[in-house]
Amino acid sequence: MLTAFADPVFDSQRTFRELLQAMARPAVPRRLPVVPPSPAAVAPEAMAILLTLCDAATSIWLQRPDAEAVDHLRFHTGLRLADQPQQADFALIDDPASMPALACFAHGDPRYPDRSASLIVQVNGFRTDGGAHFAGPGIRDAERLSVEGLPSDFWQQRAALSTQFPLGLDLYFVAAQQVVAMPRTTRLLEA
Amino acid sequence: MDTSPHLARAQWMSLLAQADPAELAAAMDAFAPPADTAWLRPAQTGLYMLRGRMGGTGPQFNFGEVTVTRCSVQVGERIGHAWVRGSQTRHAELAAFADALMQDPEQAPRLRQQVIEPLRRSLDERREEASRKAAASKVEFFTVVRGE
Repeated sequence: MLTAFADPVFDSQRTFRELLQAMARPAVPRRLPVVPPSPAAVAPEAMAILLTLCDAATSIWLQRPDAEAVDHLRFHTGLRLADQPQQADFALIDDPASMPALACFAHGDPRYPDRSASLIVQVNGFRTDGGAHFAGPGIRDAERLSVEGLPSDFWQQRAALSTQFPLGLDLYFVAAQQVVAMPRTTRLLEA
Repeated sequence: MDTSPHLARAQWMSLLAQADPAELAAAMDAFAPPADTAWLRPAQTGLYMLRGRMGGTGPQFNFGEVTVTRCSVQVGERIGHAWVRGSQTRHAELAAFADALMQDPEQAPRLRQQVIEPLRRSLDERREEASRKAAASKVEFFTVVRGE
């Protein structure tokens, strides 16, 4: 088994601050300050987010449950595993190309829209010099971002969810020690 | 004494947790952590809620909070855990390290002889002394008829 954050309190606080800032400024890649050791099945950036946000009161759905990763997460966070995507507070997607439809995950309850899932998606990389335009709260005019490694109909699926607002999904894309947050309020602008 | 492996581990973990920290440190002096020791969960102190049942059968109630220090260490393939009462991180570290060594069939006999058995004797002595002190203060109320 591997260790987690070297300094559990301060490392998770620094990561939490960065995630907060990432959610406040969507579609902008931010560097994660600490990258903990992680089993092969889980990207270290995703592990940093899970160690920061998960505890015994949260559940996670793993796209490919790997015994080593499950043991590691259970030991260090105490989280529960969900059998179905619908039941999970968090979902870890390590292979976006074969991920289930976004409609499978919990979108919240009209009285409690916060009871929705947050998806942590391990992608291949980001480019900010091209790609789609995003707008919404936290973005002055528009941000350009291209996320590499997503299925071709991903953004259509996400746009289809916007009709349910305030229900929806929040996304964290991770790659190369960076995180991009995509809350449900961020819209993809048509070219 | 039950000799099933899981109960044996529970017994030595309990013994290590109840040991006097100074005695444990002295006994563990001969065992240095090898190079492949990884502190999976560095010693951290927190509070646990103790719950009890009146007479062992009544409804549960919260008895009070207790300070507990926990620690987990990996030595080679074996993982040792410790939960000890109090806030002495060194005690938790040594207890976790001893638990990991006790799972190693090569190390266990030496550790059992040099650490576990002396600690068990010392714990028995402390218990004996406490119960003797308590027995010495027993008061016989001759005017009250006992239900014996």
